[in-house]
Amino acid sequence: MNSDIQYEISQFLYYEAYLLDHRKYREWLELLDDDIQYTMPLRVTVDNKMGSNLNTEMTYFADSKKDIEIKVERLYTKSAWVENPPTRQRHFISNVVVEPCFSSNDYKVRSYFLFKRSRSSEAKTEELFGEREDIIRKVNGKWKIAKRTVYPDQSVLSVMNVSMFL
Amino acid sequence: MRTIDWKEVEKNIENGRFPQWLVTDPEIYELEKERIFGRTWQFLAHESELKEPGSFVTRMMVDDPIILVKNKNGEINAFLNSCSHRGVRLCTEDYGNKKAFSCPYHGWTYNLNGELIGVVAGNKVFGESMDKSEWGLRPVPRVESYQGMIFGNLDPDAMSLEDYLGEMKWYFDIMLGRSDGGMEVRGVPQRWVAKANWKMTSENFAADPYHVQTTHRSAVELKLTPSDPLYASYGHQVVLSNGHGINVITSATGRSNNIYQGMPESMWSMFEKNLNKEQLDIFSRVQNFVGGVFPNLSFLSSCSGTEGTKYNHLQFRVWRPLGPDQVEIWIWYMIDKALPEDYKEKSYKGFIATFGAAGTLEQDDTENWARIVEASQGLMARDRNLSYNNMLNYLMGLDYLDPDENFPGPGKAYPTCYTDHIARSMHKYWLELITKEPEVKSHE
Repeated sequence: MNSDIQYEISQFLYYEAYLLDHRKYREWLELLDDDIQYTMPLRVTVDNKMGSNLNTEMTYFADSKKDIEIKVERLYTKSAWVENPPTRQRHFISNVVVEPCFSSNDYKVRSYFLFKRSRSSEAKTEELFGEREDIIRKVNGKWKIAKRTVYPDQSVLSVMNVSMFL
Repeated sequence: MRTIDWKEVEKNIENGRFPQWLVTDPEIYELEKERIFGRTWQFLAHESELKEPGSFVTRMMVDDPIILVKNKNGEINAFLNSCSHRGVRLCTEDYGNKKAFSCPYHGWTYNLNGELIGVVAGNKVFGESMDKSEWGLRPVPRVESYQGMIFGNLDPDAMSLEDYLGEMKWYFDIMLGRSDGGMEVRGVPQRWVAKANWKMTSENFAADPYHVQTTHRSAVELKLTPSDPLYASYGHQVVLSNGHGINVITSATGRSNNIYQGMPESMWSMFEKNLNKEQLDIFSRVQNFVGGVFPNLSFLSSCSGTEGTKYNHLQFRVWRPLGPDQVEIWIWYMIDKALPEDYKEKSYKGFIATFGAAGTLEQDDTENWARIVEASQGLMARDRNLSYNNMLNYLMGLDYLDPDENFPGPGKAYPTCYTDHIARSMHKYWLELITKEPEVKSHE
């Protein structure tokens, strides 16, 4: 992969994480392409012979841009109690691998994530971790996320809710 | 264990007061596991999760791991998921299909009926004295089902599942038995761990439409739900036997904006065939059914959809206690098999947008459930002598509401859902079970 593209896309993902961690959700929304498919299937514990240990029939979310807009606007209301007072969040993004796609503007991007959250005055923190598969696209000279699939590693999530964007 | 003044507890519960120390007290939790979860019917699976002979799922009855498996005759059996040799958890998979279950420790193997069929080196090491038929998997004492819902009970002397569900069966028929071919579970249940006490989460679904206007106010701010603070109150709160209950939420006019919860007209003739006149009347007027089967199975049949058309979705959920202040939430999404695929897809999207770990409504519930246990574990909240008068308030509707005699369904139907009648009934049944000493059985 062209090292400029690799660098640009990595920087784009870090910038995205910065916006989310600083609760700039409306700005984050600008990074999503209009036809984005944003999904998080379930990890399951199954025998090796089943091939995949993901169950894609059920998901934690399967959002369109419109669905994400509602979730974002909700966070700007006065009564989204789960984030008011806000939790403190960090998205650690690593192991970014960029591959070209059939369309010359699109790139298939794999990254690992570790999400940590501190809520209220609790000493114990929450975490989620796994892998993301994105299609990242150049639209009018700007990078946009055209598709994201979030694969959690836990079959029973240890976060009390999935109020965060991953 | 310190002495508990149950008479005092009873007096308070009768008067709509639930002592706060009972919520997360560790000794109470131990009693609940033995006397409530050890005696009541626990939901295990829906029949559609076990399609072929050899299909299995693993589940939990509080701390007991359970295997449910379909045998060659199509019968579903449930066993303790523990090898009878050294107690190893036999199967760690969530689901799959097997001809036999083999233990990875010493290789003992069981067939789909739970019979021990293979012992490595068999007679050479155990001799002739070991009778394999004595060492099969231990069956869950009682397994029964209703409308495809499979339940287990650890008490061999428990009343039948149908007797236990009682009047709830009439409402299950509407939600689960309305269409030809019945319901199917989509994929697998969502699972996650929340900070909450199981009683409070059960109550949230079974007995508490009053929380909707505040907990879910963000939906009002976004104009997704009506601004009328009474909107979740319209309809009836119906108290059923054995601590069960259902809220039949309609609207200010007593009717629904979406007949049959937004089900397509192509389904209506099935409903008319499978339901009686009274069931159809309620089903045509309801916006939301929300309720619970005591102790920890909850359900919601609702309508969702952001762009005009509404789609019905049905969810069942188990609050598996992991401790006094933790639950593992399991949610099964179900849909009528007979519906067109396009409708199923839209219904599913409406469900996950609002409920489940990432659902916009559910997120704020988890925050409030956490805050209850965070404030209930200190000395002052757990004061048993109640010198601080630490009572949770269940006074709503206590002395002024009478049941509506014209309500067409079974149960005691109060003419609003903003009342604590179901919660008080849950508390009474909880008290009845928790104060009942285990019977000492003589083995002769």
